[in-house]
Parts: sequence; C-alpha cells; structure tokens
Amino acid sequence: MSVVAKLHRTTWSTLKQLQQNGRKARFSASATTSRNDLFTHEQRRQREAVGRVDKIEVRYMGQPEDVTLVMNKHISTPYNCAQHLSEGICKRSALALIDGSVPWDMHRPLPESCTLQLLHFFVAEPHLVNKAFWRSCSFMLGAALSRIFKTEARLQLHSFPSPNIKSGSFVHDVVLGTHTWEPTKAEMRAVSAEMVKLAARDIPIERLEVEQELAQEMFKDSRYKNAQLPSIAQQNQGRVTLYRLDDHIDISRGPMVGSTRFLGKCTIIGAHKLSNKGATDAFYRFQGVALPSGFMLNHVAYSLLEQRAQKLNPARLPNEPFEDQQQLQLS
Amino acid sequence: MLRTVISDLARLRLGNGSVSITQVREKGHLNRPRLRNPHWFLRKKRTVHDDFVTSENRNFVKEVLHHTYNSSALTRDEQTHEKKLTNETIPEKQPWSQELRRCGVIARKIGQYPLWLKNGEKIRTTLLQVVDNHVIKYVPPEEYRPTRRPNVPYSKKYGCVLVGAESTDPTLLTKEYCGLFSNSGVMPKKNVARFMVSPQSALEAGTPLNVRHFRVGEFVDVRGKTVDHGFQGVVKRHGFKGMPASHGVTKTHRRPGNIGGGGEKGRVWPGTKLPGHMGNRWRITKGLRIWRINTKYNVLWVQGSAVPGSTNGLVYIYDTILPLRKPKDAPPNYEDNTLIEDIWFEQVHNFKDESITYKPE
Repeated sequence: MSVVAKLHRTTWSTLKQLQQNGRKARFSASATTSRNDLFTHEQRRQREAVGRVDKIEVRYMGQPEDVTLVMNKHISTPYNCAQHLSEGICKRSALALIDGSVPWDMHRPLPESCTLQLLHFFVAEPHLVNKAFWRSCSFMLGAALSRIFKTEARLQLHSFPSPNIKSGSFVHDVVLGTHTWEPTKAEMRAVSAEMVKLAARDIPIERLEVEQELAQEMFKDSRYKNAQLPSIAQQNQGRVTLYRLDDHIDISRGPMVGSTRFLGKCTIIGAHKLSNKGATDAFYRFQGVALPSGFMLNHVAYSLLEQRAQKLNPARLPNEPFEDQQQLQLS
Repeated sequence: MLRTVISDLARLRLGNGSVSITQVREKGHLNRPRLRNPHWFLRKKRTVHDDFVTSENRNFVKEVLHHTYNSSALTRDEQTHEKKLTNETIPEKQPWSQELRRCGVIARKIGQYPLWLKNGEKIRTTLLQVVDNHVIKYVPPEEYRPTRRPNVPYSKKYGCVLVGAESTDPTLLTKEYCGLFSNSGVMPKKNVARFMVSPQSALEAGTPLNVRHFRVGEFVDVRGKTVDHGFQGVVKRHGFKGMPASHGVTKTHRRPGNIGGGGEKGRVWPGTKLPGHMGNRWRITKGLRIWRINTKYNVLWVQGSAVPGSTNGLVYIYDTILPLRKPKDAPPNYEDNTLIEDIWFEQVHNFKDESITYKPE
C-alpha cells in the first residue's frame, strides 16, 4: 500500500472521530442551552402573567430605621426593598426573613404584605443565613464540577442533601463514568479555583418555581434528576423549585444566598467513592468547606476545618432507597 | 537636601533688581540598594487581622497546637541525644577523624560574667544560651543546591542541616513559612540557619539540640552580627591616635591627617582608612574556649568578651576550625543518662567549692 493511501486513511479516521466528538460536545452544550432557554422563557411568562400591578405594604425592620415600603405585588423582591434603603444594605444582605420566620431568597418576588428583615452573616442569630450559605456552596460546587470535568469523564450531577453545618463540610453527589478515580491535590485545587472564579464574577442566583412537566422537559437528558422529579413535585403540590447560576440549573428546596459573591475562602477537600453503579459508573461524594466573604481566619484554624471536612460526610447517601416520603429531604 | 538656584535672567543684568530663587528639592539620601529577593524567598510574618473567633475556639486551637507539638519538645530540661539517620543516606560507619564537620547550634548572647581559675586568675566570659533548637531538615550533598556556593574546592562534599531556634505560635506566621516545618514535626521557629556537615554527622529531622552538643574545655567559633555604630570617625573606627587636645593644635583633634603620598601615583589609594559606616557586619570570633556549661538552662560560658553583637543578639556556634584547637578524640555518644546540671572545666573554680583549704598541721 502506498504511503499516500495510508496517510489518506489515517486522516479520514481522525476526521471521523473529530466529527463524532464535536457532535457529542455540541449535544451536551445544546442540552444546556435548551434548558436555559426554557428557564428564561418560563421566567418571562411568569412575569407577564402577573397582569395588573397591585401594591403591597412591606414593613421593613432593621438598620437604619423601621420603614414601611409600598412595593409591587408578585414583582418586587427583597433586593428591591433594600435598594430603597442603601447600597451598603444591598451589598451585604444575603437572605431575607419574611414575617420573622420564613427565610426568603433576595431575588424572589413578594406575594403579599409582610414584615421584612434583611439578614447578613453578622446578625445575632445567623443559623438561617448559614444554612442558606451552605446550601449555595453545594449548588456552586455542582456548577464548578460541571464546568471543570471533561466530557470523557461522563459526569452526571445527582443531588445534594440537606445542609448540615455541624458535619463540617458541604456535599455534592455525582456519578462519574469510572470505577477507579482517586482525586489528586492538584485536581481538587483546580475545583476550588473554579469556585473562587464563580465567586469573583458576582453572579446572581435566580429562583423559579415550575410545573413538573416543564421540569421533566428541562431535565430530560439527565436520568437521575428525572427520576427524582416525581417525588419532589409530590411534596410541593406538583411544583418544582429550580435555581439558576449563570447557565447551570439545579433542583433545590430551600433558599439560597442572593449571589455568588458571598463565598469567601473555599476549599474543596476531596471526593469519596460511595458505591459502584452498573458496569462503568460509580457514585462519588464531593466535599468542601468554605467561609463567607469578610470572615478572616488564620491558616492554622482554617486547616483544622479542612481536616475535619476530609472525613466522609454522614448525610444521606444518594443510592439509598427512598423509604418514606418524610426522609426524602432533598433540599 | 535643598538646593537653591538663583536664576540669572537677562532682566537681572538690566538692573531690574528682582532676583528669583527657585527651590530645588532633592531626594535627601544616597541611592538606597534595591532589594531583589531570591527565588526561594518566603515571607515570614503574617499581617494579623481581627478575626471573629470565639474565646472557646481560640482555646481549642491552642489545645490542638499543644497536642500536635508535644510539650516535651519545648521543655529545656529534656534529656536529649543526637539521633543519627537510619536510612541509606548515611554512609557506612567510619572512624571519627578531625576532618569531620559537625552541626552547630543557634544561641543568644545573654550577658557577660567573670569566672576565676583555680590559680586565682580572673577571666571574662560571655554567656550564650541555646534556645530551643531543633533540626528541621537534612539535605545530602548530592541534593544540596544553594544559589551561591562558596568558591572553595571542598564545598561539594558537605551536606546541609537546617536548624531552627525559638518556637513561635504558627498563627502569627504565614502558611508558606510554616510549611518548612511540616515534615519535621517541630513547632515553627523564629530563626532558621544552615550548617554544613559531613554526611556521617547528619542528623534526623526533629532532633533537639542543646548545650550537651559541646563539651567543656573544647573550642568553638562564634559568628554574629557586630553592633551597629553607624557613621564613625577614624579614631573609633580604625583606632587612629588623633591629635592633642591643646597646645596650639588648630582644628585638628580626631581627624585622619595625611591620607596619601605624592609622586607618580599621587592619589588616594583604594582601601585607605577613612571615616565611614562601622558595625552591623557578620564576623566570626574563632577559638573560644568553653569554660562552663549549664544543662538546665542550656547556657555556655565562652572565653572573653569578643562575641560579636549586642546582648540578646543571635549568634551561631560552630566547632572551631583552628587546627591546633580541634579536639583530639571523638565526641561522646550521649548514651549515659546521668544529667549533671553544672559542668565546670577542670581549671575553673567552682563557686560551690571552698575557696581556701588549709592542710592540717
């Protein structure tokens, strides 16, 4: 066989491979874009469905003084109320508290007249903000992982359990297309760097409640999310709460902080392999620890936090069977 | 430095009478040297911010530190011994010879005191305290690659022992600097120094070093940074005699006088002794005898008052290189557990002994 013919054959096979790879990449990219398009479309539809704008009275309590604000029903958010107060309050408020007891996202529209408090990380009772922060860290970890892993790894995000700060780490469970993967320090550092990059971009976290069918349509290519949707919707009167961070969308119950800029020091410690799934895949649990921005801590104390975060988080495992509905606390 | 420039304009010559004086402000100092740090430079101290840590957590962190670096490393009365490396880095046991180089110690000059010999002679001694020394690392000669190597033929056959002195709270130091000590298991130290040693005298990381590294009667070299006297005249700096204070001497009492000859090479020679900056330089005083050792407080009494530096200054103590003062036999093995607190050289009068004894008649 002549050299020219041989070369021609090899280039043809590589071209074919490139085409296939391109198709694969394009497929996953297009899945994300279609999901985002549906999200944006639904957001716009819900905004337009408000119709005639009614007014509500929001009683704000806190610094600098208690005021009553007249806001728009189903349109105004706690962030808009903060904008009436000052820029400093806008920047530092991570979470809102409605009627003294209900935690509320900063960018979620208010449905009726209520009492509003704006929470930041230095309030006297920070447990609600802390939980929201921990939950947002898990959410951001999912976004960072989906960006950082190559398509060959066949990463599929599974879920993240309820935040438990006392456990010492926030968690995100994923399925990877390999049985034998040991995370190295350099890889974990790269994931932490990705988290910090997301924080530096100050991306707002948007919330949207959708019907179960739309959610099924959005997550049709993710089999694990699809499997979780019916039980989630059942708990929430047929509706599913979605959160969006730039172009990453995930399902979560509880409130998140208003933006990624609240993430300060962050370290993704490692990943524990939980179990094998099928012939090729396996469940992995990524764990990390973080501090809100503005908290200074010396490296000795922070390294103690990192050491504690290395232990396997005892939160509910993703491959455990869902025994009763109450245990299904996917937050 | 303020220069004034009187601008000599044309209108001055026409007799206008207006003189403009411009202030020319200069930088006020000579060119300061621009610092260029080497590639391995690590910042040591951390800028400490107020952190919102509760007092219970602060105590907890202290407890953890205390637990990690166990307290025996910090007590001064610990019996210490030199541990040799057990892996292949050390060559086969060779008999001791005078050419072998041992590790040194880092000490502080804490003061001066007289001692009396048994013949009644009074000697001046300087006290040097070895403060909390631990070996941090040993680098064998093949792996040791300093940025500046001394231009001597034997420089490649010695390994490097890194020794640290004076443990500090790691919270006040940067994480990178604390990383130097992570492999040795010792608490981060304030000062770190290199000692070039023969591979046979290599020490394991974590070995504590104290005064029992030396013996009374042996000689040491002490290196320290001399007292900074600043800009000094020729009398103090070079010991010139100066001129008489009176008897008609005009305007010349502490000046250098003549600074050169004439003739063909009629210029001031380089190296001519003139006033200038004095002190703040590294100097080694060689061949100081150790008269006394206190093992409880880790103090050496060395000969004389010629140890460079001021009180509480750091000094580095080495075995002497003077050939006639080197020890003739091998150093002890530190296997005996008897710990005598005060070890006196045989010629020195022990203060606890009687000063006069009478023979019974």
